[in-house]
Amino acid sequence: MPIIIISSETVQSAQQIAQAAAGELGYQCLGPEVLADIAAKYGIQADKLSEALGNDQSKFRRMRAKRRSQLLAYIEAEVLDRLMSDNIICWGVVSHLYVQGVSHAMKVRLLANSGQEAEKFAQQSGISVQRAAKSIQNAIRKQEQWALSAYGLNESESSMYDLVINLGQIEPDEAVRTIAGAVAYRKFKPMTYSIKSLAENALAAKVKTKLLDTLSDIRVQARDGKVVVTSKALKRERQKKAAVIKELAGQVEGVEFVEVHLINYVIREAAESFR
Amino acid sequence: MAIITISRGSYSMGVIVAEKVAQRLGYAVISRDLLLDASDRFHIPEFKLIRAIHDAPGILERFSHNKQAYLAYIRAALTERASSDNVVYHGLAGHILLKNIEGVLKVRITADMSYRVAREMKREGISEKEARSILEKDDQQRRKWTKNLHGADPWDSNLYDLVIRIDRFKADDAVDFICQAAESQAFRTTEESLEKIRDMALACRVKAELVDEFHNIGVTCHFGNVVVYTKDKSRGAKLHKQIEAVRTTVGGIYNLEIHSAAGFPPDAV
Repeated sequence: MPIIIISSETVQSAQQIAQAAAGELGYQCLGPEVLADIAAKYGIQADKLSEALGNDQSKFRRMRAKRRSQLLAYIEAEVLDRLMSDNIICWGVVSHLYVQGVSHAMKVRLLANSGQEAEKFAQQSGISVQRAAKSIQNAIRKQEQWALSAYGLNESESSMYDLVINLGQIEPDEAVRTIAGAVAYRKFKPMTYSIKSLAENALAAKVKTKLLDTLSDIRVQARDGKVVVTSKALKRERQKKAAVIKELAGQVEGVEFVEVHLINYVIREAAESFR
Repeated sequence: MAIITISRGSYSMGVIVAEKVAQRLGYAVISRDLLLDASDRFHIPEFKLIRAIHDAPGILERFSHNKQAYLAYIRAALTERASSDNVVYHGLAGHILLKNIEGVLKVRITADMSYRVAREMKREGISEKEARSILEKDDQQRRKWTKNLHGADPWDSNLYDLVIRIDRFKADDAVDFICQAAESQAFRTTEESLEKIRDMALACRVKAELVDEFHNIGVTCHFGNVVVYTKDKSRGAKLHKQIEAVRTTVGGIYNLEIHSAAGFPPDAV
């Protein structure tokens, strides 16, 4: 059965719709509570994972790019692994950005009912509705900037999703009905190749977590047990770095062969040649 | 009962979906014939209206007012047709031409580029390179047009109530979603919303009568009371004279006034 990935401008609407749809369909729901499990697995603090997801913009901005990549790799590896189960709805862990090329994953984007959200937020925070609305729009904009920075993707572009539903006009119950109806369509049935594609995404993520402990600026792809790692290196380091990558990646279960592509680190080469 | 507007990239099956939705719901379809309507009524050649609604304004055109005028004519024709309720519009920029009208279900049909290229190749019997070039140019024009004239990116999903990727669903699936949404409470037209659409149609009609000569005006209408806002005080006498002519040619006006203003109200057309 398919995977449903819910992405939303606001956490509240994603949670509401994801949980309602899970109830309607009898699916599991995978949300931000998974961060606690990931933190325990890798021996880190759960709030660091939350910061890496851009949930606290001030702390996220202070986080080094390498650290962010590492934390995001932990999240991707665990979430992709869990998505191998059937009948699951995923929300709140930006899976719409890293689940790529998996045909049985239905991606749904929810646009917030900004009026209602602003009223709720105003009530909770004791501020004016106007100020609450501005604050929400600000948070949405910052989250979009985060997605661009972390994954190079524009979250607001409709081509990223199979369905976009505006909760400002369409009631939550109607949205849940639409999602529940859509997921039954033929194109979202798991096929051998789509399950394989998901497994390969998951394998690549696991290899990335292994490599990012010691290396930075790497790209990992997996296909048929073969893992391709792309990175940068100075000429004099190439052999050693390739050997390290092959050894580390080879330790991950499911990896049969490791291919390494190292691109010249042009700027560092130039800097070193002047010394 | 609803008003549905379906926006689409070229060759993304939007027309087929629109026609099937109209057939399923028993609604009228508005598209190209709207331009003929506007062309007849305002005595503008159809090709000029097509260019106004399709091509992005060139550098010089941005300083001329013809395009704004032509859009006013198209908008007048569209809002008048929409005020009869139960319509599906699948021409360009429906989500913008019909904005600020409550209860309009705004749908966008999108598709992956490779899907659209394949359809274009099959339809026109051309190579992949040619098909891709045509589609990219068309997309670019549409985005530029919408951004320049309305400050909005047509690919921004915030402009719509529902966006459906047609290469992931069949046309009939998209029709199911749209019909389901159209029948929900949020999109049922009420007497109040119909009255507002008729007021907007009247405001658009008055603007269309005046915009050729008076470029910088905004028009509002509430219960047949039309107010024309102008920033240009120097041409007040001429505008008054023109208003008198409009009073006799446009039906349904209860009261018609001119206000000099620094800015226009947000609901002005």
